[in-house]
Amino acid sequence: MSERITQTRGAAAGAPAETSVADAELDCRGLLCPLPVYQASRAIDRLLPGQALRVVCTDPGSLADFPALARQRGLALLSAEERDGVQVFRLRKDGDG
Amino acid sequence: MYITNSAAGQPPAQTEPQQDRTAAERRARQERLRPDASRRRYGSVRDLIASPQNPTPLVRLSRVLPSGAEAHLKLEWFNPFGSIKDRTALYLLEGMRRRGELGGRELVEATSGNTGIALAALAALEGKKLTVTIPSGAPQEKLTLLRMLGAEVMATPDDLCPVDNPSDGAIALARAVAESPAHRGRYAMPNQYANPDNVRAHYETTGPEIWEQTEGRVRTFVAGFGTCGTITGVGRFLKERDPSIRVVAVEPQRGHHLPGLKNLQEAKAPAILDRSVLDDVVRVDDGPAYAMARRLFREEALIVGPSTGAIVEAIARLEPAESGLVVGISPDGGHKYASFYAERLDAEEVAR
Repeated sequence: MSERITQTRGAAAGAPAETSVADAELDCRGLLCPLPVYQASRAIDRLLPGQALRVVCTDPGSLADFPALARQRGLALLSAEERDGVQVFRLRKDGDG
Repeated sequence: MYITNSAAGQPPAQTEPQQDRTAAERRARQERLRPDASRRRYGSVRDLIASPQNPTPLVRLSRVLPSGAEAHLKLEWFNPFGSIKDRTALYLLEGMRRRGELGGRELVEATSGNTGIALAALAALEGKKLTVTIPSGAPQEKLTLLRMLGAEVMATPDDLCPVDNPSDGAIALARAVAESPAHRGRYAMPNQYANPDNVRAHYETTGPEIWEQTEGRVRTFVAGFGTCGTITGVGRFLKERDPSIRVVAVEPQRGHHLPGLKNLQEAKAPAILDRSVLDDVVRVDDGPAYAMARRLFREEALIVGPSTGAIVEAIARLEPAESGLVVGISPDGGHKYASFYAERLDAEEVAR
């Protein structure tokens, strides 16, 4: 099971500030729940406090899973959006996560 | 007498190529030792998996039960990969092979460890890759064995939401790995919780062994709620032989620390559970289960896993006059739980 995680902060250097929305990005398209929260939870383990993770999903179940993950792990859910069957979440690790 | 368990449907051991280039090669081939189960000489470790021709032993309990009780433990750790799940794993894989579900695919399974270890060992023999999703709180020893066998381990964290039971979370995660469109059918899932081959393993091997080994005199059978393959398969077999045989299931407390067992109030009842074979369910909490495991070590010299402690504790609570000859399952041995036992012994020393 390989995870598709991309570090974005370095790559976004020189780009307009508003595109630098996360420190890491996780592509969970085509993965069924609860795989996206499982992978996100592991990705968050690798973040430093204050860093953010952007996750892209296609299982609508994630709309319930990610707010719950944020609550349980004490993460800030910066945004949760759905458009054309794609859900995008941004989570920030504040304390120990 | 010991015979290899080809009855379980494995393909025969690979035959040697018959073309010898020289007479010396032919002689060497002819002189090579052949598998001979009557001498306990095997071509493959998988031939050691228990079957009616090569049953796991029954050992009588002599000290931990009230006087007048007669109970025998079936020591499933005599299976080559260390637990009753060797039987299950063999039947799961053979069923998948028969149905053409294996070809070129990786395996993924949710397991508290023992099925994973047996599947990983059998997969290793075939050069197949296995991913296991394992509930959080499984002992480190099991995770290490799985990794040594080359399995990829996905430890399911407690906060895997919205599923609130870790063992159900592991099942949901394995299913997601198997069925996610992004994986394009790369994974096949044996699904021991819903696969009738799990029940069949015990209906065709464990049950008949118990009947033979007790010469048909077993009156009460005791096993745990786990995947429910053992209780359903053995229970069904024994009830068909004699409907008056009592089948007792052991259920742990909610939030228990007895790997392999399930509390069916907090976890979903497995699809393969057939409640019609059950006569009683006995609830055994962690404390008495671990206390009995320690007594089994110290008084019976049986190095058992914690679930055996729960099962023997349930046997000890039966009324000897009513239960008659009892057979209980000892699903696995104690070595894999050294860290669990150390924690309890340390806590007791601190409390003293």
